[in-house]
Amino acid sequence: MHDRYKILFNRTALIATTALLLSPLGTLAQATAAPASSIQSSSERATTSVSKDRWLHVRVISSDSKGESVRVNVPLELAEKVLPAIHQDRIHDGKVKIDNAHVNDVDLRALVDAIRTTKDGEFVTVQSNDCDVRVAKQSNHLIVHVLDKQNSKKSEVEVKVPMKVIDALFSAGKDELDLVAALHALSTQGDTELVSVKDHENTVRVWLDSKNVTD
Amino acid sequence: MILLAKAALTVGGTLVLAGAYTMREGVIRIDVDEYRAGGSHVHMWVPAAAVPMVLHFVPTEHLRHGSEQARQAMPILRAIVKELKKYPDTEFVEVDDHDEHVRIRTQGARLQIDVDAPDQKVHILCPLSTIEDVTIQLEEHGPAA
Repeated sequence: MHDRYKILFNRTALIATTALLLSPLGTLAQATAAPASSIQSSSERATTSVSKDRWLHVRVISSDSKGESVRVNVPLELAEKVLPAIHQDRIHDGKVKIDNAHVNDVDLRALVDAIRTTKDGEFVTVQSNDCDVRVAKQSNHLIVHVLDKQNSKKSEVEVKVPMKVIDALFSAGKDELDLVAALHALSTQGDTELVSVKDHENTVRVWLDSKNVTD
Repeated sequence: MILLAKAALTVGGTLVLAGAYTMREGVIRIDVDEYRAGGSHVHMWVPAAAVPMVLHFVPTEHLRHGSEQARQAMPILRAIVKELKKYPDTEFVEVDDHDEHVRIRTQGARLQIDVDAPDQKVHILCPLSTIEDVTIQLEEHGPAA
C-alpha cells in the first residue's frame, strides 16, 4: 500500500513538472501568434478611436508616378513633454532663440501686439500676374494666403494660425519663441487646418484634431 | 525516485518562474535582412528582461563611453519613451514610397519600427520599458554620475 502511494506521488510530481516546463512554451506560442491578430485589432481600434487628446497631423502626398506619401501623427501632449528635454543649438527648455539679424530689425513682438489689438480685416493684399498674397486677421486667426501663378502649374499656400498660439509663441523673453507655450495654446483649440500647400507635385496638410490617425 | 521528483519539481518551478518573468517583460525582436552580396541577415529574439541584467556585466568604461556618445539624446529618448507608453497601438510615422515603406508605431507597450526597402528589411520590436531601463542605466554611468 505504502509503495503504491510512493509510485503515485512520484508520477504526480513528474507530470506536474512536465506540465510546468511546457507551460512557458505555450505562453511563448501565444506571444508569437499574438502580433498578427493584435495588428489587426489595433488598426481597427486606431481607425475608430477618438480620444480627448489633441493630435497634430502632417500629411504629404506626392502626385508623381512614385506616389510617395508621408503621414505623421503627434500627440500635442507628447510634443509638450519632449520639447523641454531638447537642449541643442538654439533650442533650450522648449524655447527657440531667434537672432535679431534674421528678422531684419523688425520688432516682431510689437508687430504681434499690433495685430492682436487690431480688429478683423485684411492687412496685406497683393494681386499681380505672378502671384496673389493675402494676409488677414479673421475670427481670431491670422491667415496668410499665397497663390503662385508664375509657373504654368499653380501652387497655393494657406496658413491659418490662431492668435492665441501666436501670443503664446511670443510670450517668452526677448529674442525667444516659446514653442511649448504655443503647443499648449494649440491644444486648447478646436479641430483646425493650420497649413495647406497644393502644387502640381505635392499636397501638404498640417492639421489638428482629436483622432490618433489621419483620414 | 522521490529525490529525482523533488529535484525535477524545483528545477521546473524555477524555470516556470523565470519563463513567466521573461514573458511578462516581453521579447526584443530584431530582424535585419540586407539583399546584397555579403549582406547581413540577423534574426534575434532576446528576452527583454535579460538586457538590463546584461548591462550590469558590461565593463563600466564601455558603459561610460556609450553614455558619453549618447549624452544629448538620452534625456530626449527617456522623455519620448515615457510619453509613448501613454499611446499604445498608435501609428506615429508612416512613409510610403512606391517600393519603400517606413513605419514607426507602438504595439501595446512596445515600439515597432519597420523598414521595407528593395535592398534591405529591418523590423524591430522592443518593449518601451527596456529602452527606458537602458537609458536610465546609461545616464547613471554618464559623466555627471
